Amino acid sequence: MSKTIKNLKQFSTANERFEGAHLLCPGCAHSMIVRELMNCTEDNLVLSTNTGCLEVSTAVYPYTSWDSSWIHIGFENAATAVAGAEAMYNAKKRKGTLPNPDAPVKFVAFGGDGSTYDIGFQWLSGAVERGHDFTYICLDNEVYANTGGQRSSSTPIGASTTTSPAGRVSYGEKKMKKDIVGIMGAHGAPYVAQVAPNKWKDMVKKLQKSLETEGPCFINAMSACTTEWKFDPKDTISVSDVAVDSLVFPLYEIIDGKELNITYRPKNILPVRDYLGIQGRFKHLFKPENQHVIEQWQKDVDARWEYLQRREEARV
Amino acid sequence: MATREIISTGNDLAAMAAVDAGCRFFGGYPITPSSEVMHTISDLLPQQGGTAIQMEDEIAGVACAIGASMSGVRSMTATSGPGISLKAENLGLAQMAEVPLVVVNVMRGGPSTGLPTRVSQGDVAQAKNPSHGDYQSITLCAGNLAECYTETVRAFNLADRFMQPVFVLLDETIGHMHGKADVPELEEIKAGIKPRKEFTGDPKDYKPYGVAQDEPAVLNPMFKGYRYHFTGLHHDANGFPTEEIGTCKRLIERLFNKVRDHQDEIDSYEEFMMDDAEFLLIAYGSVSLAAKETIKQLRDQGIKAGLFRPITLWPSPAKRIKHWTDKIDKVLCVELNQGQYLDEIQRASGRLDIEGLFKVNGRAISPYEITEKIKEMI
Repeated sequence: MSKTIKNLKQFSTANERFEGAHLLCPGCAHSMIVRELMNCTEDNLVLSTNTGCLEVSTAVYPYTSWDSSWIHIGFENAATAVAGAEAMYNAKKRKGTLPNPDAPVKFVAFGGDGSTYDIGFQWLSGAVERGHDFTYICLDNEVYANTGGQRSSSTPIGASTTTSPAGRVSYGEKKMKKDIVGIMGAHGAPYVAQVAPNKWKDMVKKLQKSLETEGPCFINAMSACTTEWKFDPKDTISVSDVAVDSLVFPLYEIIDGKELNITYRPKNILPVRDYLGIQGRFKHLFKPENQHVIEQWQKDVDARWEYLQRREEARV
Repeated sequence: MATREIISTGNDLAAMAAVDAGCRFFGGYPITPSSEVMHTISDLLPQQGGTAIQMEDEIAGVACAIGASMSGVRSMTATSGPGISLKAENLGLAQMAEVPLVVVNVMRGGPSTGLPTRVSQGDVAQAKNPSHGDYQSITLCAGNLAECYTETVRAFNLADRFMQPVFVLLDETIGHMHGKADVPELEEIKAGIKPRKEFTGDPKDYKPYGVAQDEPAVLNPMFKGYRYHFTGLHHDANGFPTEEIGTCKRLIERLFNKVRDHQDEIDSYEEFMMDDAEFLLIAYGSVSLAAKETIKQLRDQGIKAGLFRPITLWPSPAKRIKHWTDKIDKVLCVELNQGQYLDEIQRASGRLDIEGLFKVNGRAISPYEITEKIKEMI
């Protein structure tokens, strides 16, 4: 059952199910998202986590941040592990061998963008296609932050990473990021959404909706990475604000693979330039020879926003 | 031999060696503790007109390197143990279809995710047979910084000579060690490059797998007009799938013969203070650095110990191992695993009384620990 969280006071003083004493970087948005997922429901949780920052930082012997059942599995298999747990739970329920069959249980898998967009994509797709009742949350920081800051297929154009370094001959990553929300929507999943931790009401509402929805749900959560995006740890929320207000991370949901709802429309739409300017990974784009990349960025963001609005209107 | 001095890390030296040895393609995926190989090579290769691609997973990393190699380019992938586990299927394909490839494995603690940032030599047995099926793998193991460079160069030459993947095993300690390496001059490296064989006759007569029973396949690069069939199935001289009993038998036998009948070209080992040794230490990789220090300390105390260090682990230098184990009574094999190479030492020597000293907690072994064990044995 979802918890009622009416105001910021309730939000910040909710009973903790995710312990804050972990080893994630100061300013990391991962913990904000995971905390809200766990705090937004009263139900029992069965969680699995792909290898990544979240996993290595929240279960360092002899401590754990997880006040629930938690499985750490290989780099690619969080969706598979939770699918297995869900299938077995249902089998036991059918056979009547569960000690407490009426206790509500929710199944949730966490992965970073590397393990969601890249190495774990096949496994996520399979679990959604089979229709397990679970929620998959991608903590999207657009980089392999745990292994030294390599590019992933979520890394946006122009970002300098250890395997797409910017320099004399290159302006960094060459491709726009993969449209994972669109792809998961195309699976026909009952609920797919994009969230950002700075818009906490929107985020909590979507997380609760995904837990309450029967069937496979997918949430792409923007997780600003202070280390690899290169901004001051105190600025996580303000960077996230600019990301959302510049429409780099539009907030929307797709229901049953058809109905698309935009859930946040910025009053003042900021130029993408403002978003790029506050992060070290895009510093080189402000050189005269790289202006075309910023222009490309703006064009892509505008086109995407136009597409989302038209799709919302079309109600298909 | 003229040498030059490079101050760098083991992982970076492996990347530099690859580029100097003519590698022009790298396919990989981030994994600790080998990622620096990919970082460095993605900087170096474009400057040489080469290509480094970060793929979507480990399987794709090796698969695209196989594709690049088939077009005639020297290709490499680098990873750590969990990555080898994922790449295993494609490594078997490269063995079966005879595709030259260099695979750098910077070993960390396992099994599974194990100890990602800690040292281990737990993949030595895996390197012998990473995938299902029967073949003779070639595995080289760097024991110091200079060898991260020289063994990577040698791996490329062996891969093209024997037309199969060649493993270069580093371990986390060697891979992340930073220091001075004396390596051969670039001209010498370039002069030593032996490109793979190519068939130049009439395309009608081209039979890539129709070679002598102790020779590797002759796979012409793609795009040159020589057609053949490429498959992981048992295949005939043209590469077409077959279940003909004689052909199947000869194919697998040839995969062994091509390596074993030419082992003198592959064998490599170091003998340290062995001339008058009365106590034999066997170690490889980063452990050999501690072993050498131990030997120096023991000799100060009047104990004549020596080190035999295999550099080519597979196929093992079995004859040389037997030579020393026949001669010396007290033998100790030191490894950062539970005795994966001790099994091979016991097999080669025919002696089950050879002892092992193992450490599997992700930490390097110290000379003190080896000394204690040796004193116990004497």
